[in-house]
Amino acid sequence: MTDIPTNLTQFLFEQTTKLEREWLEEQTQKNDLDLMTAFVATPRFLSKKMVFNDSKSNGGLVPECNGFQVNGWSLVRLARVWLLLHLPSVPKDQFVKNIETLFDTAELNELVALYSALPLLPYPWEWLPRATDAVRSNMGFVFDSIALLNPYPELYFSELAWNQLVLKTIFNGKPIDLIYGIDRRKNKDLAIAISDFISERFAAGRKIPLQIWRLVAPFSDETTFPNLINLLESELKAEREVAALVCFESKNPNVHSLLSKYPDLELSIKNGELDWSKIESIP
Amino acid sequence: MCQNHKEPSTNPSHFESTPSGDEILTHRDLLWEDYQNLIQGMRFFDPHIHMVSRTTDDYQMMAKAGIVAIIEPAFWVGQPRTGLSSFKDYYSSLVGWERFRSSQFGIKHYCTMGLNSREANNERLAEEVMEILPLFAYKEGVVGIGEIGFDDQTPLEEKYYRLQLELAKKAKLPVQIHTPHRDKKRGTERSMSIALEHGLDPSWVVVDHNNEETVKSVLDQGFWAAFTIYPFTKMGNERMVTVVEKYGPERIMINSSADWGISDPLAIPKTAALMKQRGIPVDVIRMVTYQNAIDAFAKSGQIDVTDFETEFQPDPNAKFHGNSILRGGQQPVPNKNSLFIQ
Ligand SMILES: [Zn+2]
Repeated sequence: MTDIPTNLTQFLFEQTTKLEREWLEEQTQKNDLDLMTAFVATPRFLSKKMVFNDSKSNGGLVPECNGFQVNGWSLVRLARVWLLLHLPSVPKDQFVKNIETLFDTAELNELVALYSALPLLPYPWEWLPRATDAVRSNMGFVFDSIALLNPYPELYFSELAWNQLVLKTIFNGKPIDLIYGIDRRKNKDLAIAISDFISERFAAGRKIPLQIWRLVAPFSDETTFPNLINLLESELKAEREVAALVCFESKNPNVHSLLSKYPDLELSIKNGELDWSKIESIP
Repeated sequence: MCQNHKEPSTNPSHFESTPSGDEILTHRDLLWEDYQNLIQGMRFFDPHIHMVSRTTDDYQMMAKAGIVAIIEPAFWVGQPRTGLSSFKDYYSSLVGWERFRSSQFGIKHYCTMGLNSREANNERLAEEVMEILPLFAYKEGVVGIGEIGFDDQTPLEEKYYRLQLELAKKAKLPVQIHTPHRDKKRGTERSMSIALEHGLDPSWVVVDHNNEETVKSVLDQGFWAAFTIYPFTKMGNERMVTVVEKYGPERIMINSSADWGISDPLAIPKTAALMKQRGIPVDVIRMVTYQNAIDAFAKSGQIDVTDFETEFQPDPNAKFHGNSILRGGQQPVPNKNSLFIQ
């Protein structure tokens, strides 16, 4: 990649000491292998502190990549992503080989940095197998680095891979509202899979994270009825509210009309007092 | 190449199939359990052990005997690796799974990275390994380049030894030298003179597998002299006591080099007990079984003694990449004295 986003560089340098900055700048003058080595060696030269950046306030660290954010990263992770952007991206074969080598030899923190960098790397389709593989990973931090707060999956995942990512996130008990693009990529197949999951949990007498209903809502139909009626009659306010939101968003007239029996809830939705953001996050 | 030895390719490196004639085994009534109290409260650091070929039983016994930290040098796993991927996976296991497994027994695990001398003789593969070696040398918890040096003392071994010395200099890492079994004296001298030729500071170089014949020269030239207490082939611990009595504790360290051969992961605590019994002062024992190894390898900047000097409880529920060392419902510390295996 020839253009390193200015905001990103500026933010990184604001976080570093003079010595750290000099080390980083020195690395960018080097050949492929030395740059790759610097990617590995970063913790030997940079502090392990965390960095905080509310990227919304200044239009994003990488304006051409919506959703890319570094808030709560370690300085090492940020610096590693930045170093990767300095790897010469032509010829393509060599670039792909270099990134693949880094993946093959990476330890956990390096993997996290590599997945975090995917939305910024050239030849984005080349990384698709790695990215979908990471979703199957048992490594919590690695899974998070691709699934949560990363714009890559929304941009490049097939529907099947996307749905797997969402289901795995739910299954791992992680917050789906941190999946970038979650509302834009709702789909019928995903809704069916989640409905099945909900029914299965109900049958086992177990709770489900209420947030996941938002992925079912627009596609809910008669098959969702029994679970919805259960919820509407729940003793828990949050469950009644979720059921109301589902009915309200459903495109199925029969489901939608269930709401008319609960005028208070309907009113608070219409007044904008109740929406998904008011519902508990997945723990 | 004009080497003159009997079975150049059948001798694994930490294990000689032909015991030297001068060491005769005699029955002894000294039982380890009778002498463990001699080392009560001591802490040990084993700077050379190949845990990848050891079991969890070993880890449990080691922790119980006072071993708090270890270094696992990258080495030969007993048969040649056939492709670069095997090296990648092996190196990854040294900084990954094995380190995690060790932590589950309360033992801090470091490693040294290198292309071993035997496999240096496969030039095509060696070239590929050298390409990825820097990516491992700089990883966290890597405390040196090792174990490198000579096996058959071939030109290819020399080539990759030299290249790795340069890597060590560049990465500012100590070097751990494996000295050959055959023609040891010459191999040791050659290893040291090449290291000096490359401008390495001898205080950054640990020369391993010493014996009575090599120790003086190694110490005189300012290198660290490591001794491997390995049954039948390298050093016995009675001989070791004599060496310490003769040379004192400066720049001398002991290790087990325990691996897939008949070896003993408790070599250090056992030697410490023997030294105690023979009247060697505790501070001398501490230097050769703990402190010197730390001083030598801490030059890497990768050793923080608070990691193992403060009381540390392993987290039995911890996972590595989502995988635990415990299989279905196992408890981390079973009662070994019980007949029931639950
Ligand atoms: Zn060894």
